[in-house]
Amino acid sequence: MSSRLPPVTGEWIDRSRGLDFTFDGKAYRGWVGDTPASALWAAGVHVLGRSFKYHRPRGVLSMANHDVNTMMQTGARLNLRADVEPLEAAMALTSVNTAGGASGDRLRFLNALGGFLPVGFYYKAFHRPKALFPFWERVFRRMTGLGTLDFNAPHIRTPKRYDFCDVLVVGAGPSGLHAALAAGRAGAKVVLVDENARIGGSLGYQRGGSVEGLEMLRDLERDLAELPNVSVRAATLAAGYYADHWIPLVDAKRMTKLRARAVICAGGVFEQPAVFRNNDVPGVMLASAAQRLLYRYAVKPMDKAVVLTANADGYRAALDLMAHGVAIAAVADLRAEGEPSALTMRVKQVGIPVLKGHCVLEAEAVDDRLVAATLCPVSAEGRPDTASPQKFACDGLLMSVGWAPAAALLYQAGASMRYDAGVHQFVPERLPEGVFACGRVNGVYTLDSKCEDGERAGTEAARLLGFDVPARNFSVAAERVAPSHPWPIVDHPAGKNFVDFDEDLHLRDFHNAAQEGFDNIELLKRYTTVGMGPSQGKHSNMNAIRILARIRGKSPGEVGTTTARPFFHPVPMSHLAGRGFNVHRETPLHGRHDGLGAVWMQAGVWLRPEYYGQPGKRKADIVREEARAVRESVGIIDVGTLGKMELYGPDAGAFLERVYTAKFAGMKPGTTRYAVMLDESGVVIDDGVVARLADQHFYFTTTTTGSTTVYRELQRWNAQWNLEVGIVNATGAFAAMNLAGPKARAVLRKLTTLDLSNEAFPYLALREADVAGVPARLMRVGFVGELGYEIHVPADRAGHLWDALMDAGGEYAIRPFGVEAQRLLRLEKGHIIIGQDTDGLTQPDEAGLEWAVKMDKAFFVGQRSVDIVRKRGPRQKLVGFELDAIGASTAPRECHLVVRNGAIAGRVTSIAWSDTLGKHVGLAFVAPDMTEVGSPFFIRADGGTMVQARVVPTPFYDAEGLRQKVVD
Amino acid sequence: MANMRSSPLAHALATLHPEWIDVAGMPLAATLRDDHSGRSDKLGVCDLSGLPRVGVKGPGAAAWLAARGVPVPDQPNTWTLLEGGGVVARLARTEFLVEDGFGGRIAARLAPELKPGTTGVYPVPRQDCALALTGTVVNELLVQTCNVDFASQARDACIVTLTLMVGVSVTVLRQTFAGRDCWRLWCDGTSGPYLWETLTGIAAELGGGPVGLKSAFPDARFQNLQ
Repeated sequence: MSSRLPPVTGEWIDRSRGLDFTFDGKAYRGWVGDTPASALWAAGVHVLGRSFKYHRPRGVLSMANHDVNTMMQTGARLNLRADVEPLEAAMALTSVNTAGGASGDRLRFLNALGGFLPVGFYYKAFHRPKALFPFWERVFRRMTGLGTLDFNAPHIRTPKRYDFCDVLVVGAGPSGLHAALAAGRAGAKVVLVDENARIGGSLGYQRGGSVEGLEMLRDLERDLAELPNVSVRAATLAAGYYADHWIPLVDAKRMTKLRARAVICAGGVFEQPAVFRNNDVPGVMLASAAQRLLYRYAVKPMDKAVVLTANADGYRAALDLMAHGVAIAAVADLRAEGEPSALTMRVKQVGIPVLKGHCVLEAEAVDDRLVAATLCPVSAEGRPDTASPQKFACDGLLMSVGWAPAAALLYQAGASMRYDAGVHQFVPERLPEGVFACGRVNGVYTLDSKCEDGERAGTEAARLLGFDVPARNFSVAAERVAPSHPWPIVDHPAGKNFVDFDEDLHLRDFHNAAQEGFDNIELLKRYTTVGMGPSQGKHSNMNAIRILARIRGKSPGEVGTTTARPFFHPVPMSHLAGRGFNVHRETPLHGRHDGLGAVWMQAGVWLRPEYYGQPGKRKADIVREEARAVRESVGIIDVGTLGKMELYGPDAGAFLERVYTAKFAGMKPGTTRYAVMLDESGVVIDDGVVARLADQHFYFTTTTTGSTTVYRELQRWNAQWNLEVGIVNATGAFAAMNLAGPKARAVLRKLTTLDLSNEAFPYLALREADVAGVPARLMRVGFVGELGYEIHVPADRAGHLWDALMDAGGEYAIRPFGVEAQRLLRLEKGHIIIGQDTDGLTQPDEAGLEWAVKMDKAFFVGQRSVDIVRKRGPRQKLVGFELDAIGASTAPRECHLVVRNGAIAGRVTSIAWSDTLGKHVGLAFVAPDMTEVGSPFFIRADGGTMVQARVVPTPFYDAEGLRQKVVD
Repeated sequence: MANMRSSPLAHALATLHPEWIDVAGMPLAATLRDDHSGRSDKLGVCDLSGLPRVGVKGPGAAAWLAARGVPVPDQPNTWTLLEGGGVVARLARTEFLVEDGFGGRIAARLAPELKPGTTGVYPVPRQDCALALTGTVVNELLVQTCNVDFASQARDACIVTLTLMVGVSVTVLRQTFAGRDCWRLWCDGTSGPYLWETLTGIAAELGGGPVGLKSAFPDARFQNLQ
């Protein structure tokens, strides 16, 4: 039978548009504006899900985004929150965490085993014997978890965006609406957000049988609509607070990172459940949940109800239910004195019995549905008097015993909170500048006071931001009666009085935890997992604090709260991931490489050709061919990714003396020099080639990955030294290519009038000349061990030069080569790569760079550390090694360990098969006493195979360096 | 040598079937095959990398520019208009970017004068990827890619913003360029293809996309750009 009511004023559903859907295979119909939970409840379905651990039947609890036991799955959408997510046409909903659906869950037998499954049972029970742990792990993984991940789910684009405003108001209840109006009328650009599908908060559903609140809401909406500077965003969650008032706003489609100049937290409160036996059976719900069902979805929550209350809201809820045909069996008020307002009289006038000083001892269910509630007197300390219980038949039980502030944003903003015994709630004590609170989160509950408090917050925020608002005294009256009960908890010998519905924690679990010593709120949280489920403690943390406070004989304020980290509410991973930017840099020759079949690799932020693919050829063969072309004829590689710096000024030479280990003061224009950079602790952090173009002008390179860091460091140093220099990071402004091989000179000669003879342009010299009509800087360097010219040109002319060099090299079968071939070629020469053959601790002496460190200079960065380390001696030394004949499949790889007497004695940093040398060669760090040439050592390769290597001198190839210094 | 220069976006633009036009020796896209009418009015992303441009920094940079008749902005992070529609942007206390508009020749004239050797005046080679963002929904593109509140910047304040956009260091200012209100962006040329791909991708979702010079600046005169 349908529980849908005739049209209710202010309902959210659109009765002209029906929606067909299924739940656990059965067909149902709802309306646009429904949620799955409201549509199912209207259809008489009350078991909407199963609890996490005991697989108990669960129905509606809050209808406020923390009914986590009723999460559902539809297609690839996981963990859809059935209490708040909008119902959509053709949804095929299934319950999660069940075997066979919510109503017929085959795992419900676990409820009977509850006594054997206390908190932490799995910590204690399943780690021995160790061999069985994988089995139990598989069992638990199968039984637990929410939803089934579909790895083929389509990628959902959820682009993030930024937004900006003067005042962000979080929460569009009465206080938030008034705050937004006040700030908006002052001229501030206001953004008002509310996580609900519509604004209004309690005005829309906590009516107490009256339409006064609804009419106020209509007026406020009209007023807001007249303010173009106020943006109202419903169905938008303020999910966290970050420094400088950055707030992530999450809606169905995206996350918006909003920067506000001031933030007003008007997020209200979460209604808290009472703790009594079987407080979780379908039909037991928060009073506000019943009111939401009534007024938002026009669903009659039950036919006959018992209302458990400790505040005026419970009485209002009873009146709301009565107004829509629900019989009220009784109102049980935990307070001995009852409700002091006129509400008591109104309730009694409509014939509802009121039992003061009574609690619910237990709820009783048949066939997974509430059938009765047993009430009994309760003492002021919360002890039930079970001598004379009264049983009331009912299919609904409303809990209205108190509230907890939705203060996560305030905590994250750095607010200090105090426990106010006047309202039995944590309220803000001190707020950071630019952060305001109003309404129920501020401990203000009376409607008039909430409106006044909201206007105060909005006005104060506007004034802080400099808007012209007249000063005004606001008087927000203190609450005369606490809206929350300090102990809405009833013990029961049979248990199943739940504190945390996410994690199936009942009262006894907390006593057990405290007994085992976990009696601090943070420890208690981790041991019991209270507040760690999907609702993040919104309905459980406050009761947990009250329980721990009573166990320890302290006040809730003394116990304190746990840390609320952003995001305080679960946010879809797709929203967090956003669009997925993949930042990268491309050299000006990228298109040329593409045309040549480049296979790309990432080198830091750069894309570089690893090698140039050819159909039907293996990578290893291609790399060897590319290397061979360089050794035998001529090759060309794009080295534009190197960092490139210009250094100008009268102190340029002195500056370089300080930042590099070599000497530069006496360097002549037209020459280059290898340069090593250390940090203050003497660790090698970068290397490159320094070229002197003029007395006051140097040009130098850094490693590909180091340019940004090096430039930043140079600026930092000069901020301290204040030398007369100008430093320019020209990395992207220059392209660079290395033309290398015995025919390099012949190729280059076709394109320039520069005298390339060995006498005019010797090894390590620098020249400036036009090449193919392009002004270029040419450096004769030999990183790959052949005659080579590193040619640097303005980036916009790189393509032209590349084409010219390729044309000119055609006669010599010039071949572009990639990073892999370059690595092999330089390894044959024994040249190290910083970051590959060094690590974050490598001192220059350990990497064989002693020769590049000029300790007789007055100063360079890291000099003092090098001095200290030299006295201590190196920890390791980089050596060249070769392997005896060995198959490629068993050859060690980079990072494999050097092992001596079963202990780690070093690691391989580089290794490759060299066609030129006919063997595997490599570099490895080894212990200082293992460096003697010819001495063997072992490398532990894949599968534990021990491979013997021998220390050999480097370079492995062309030890005299004749090929790079080649004479015409 | 004609067309010796290449835009950082040449490779990306070539896939869009452009009709090229020479801008100071660099081919730029005058039109693109799919640049339908109205795209630049909604949201256009246009390559202006070829415009003549110089950079200079150092304690003597401001005086050096002023001595050559360049209107130097008083404050860092502001810009002034250059004759012919170009800009002089003060990027820091002692660093400047000078770029010609379609009708200017000042940066082109300064470039050969700016040689190393003058203490306190240091050339900064500028091989930027330079873009113009046009259209009515350009702010939506900006808020999806950058955390600076550009919409709140007063136009007459002539603000230059140095910030990160989708992870790339960019210089941004708002200018009426060749008769059209637009946002100008400069970034390192090697980051240009990524920035272009990202911006045009998002722009396409917003109903815009890449546009050629003639579409972005229909009132501009291009005949003297070579």
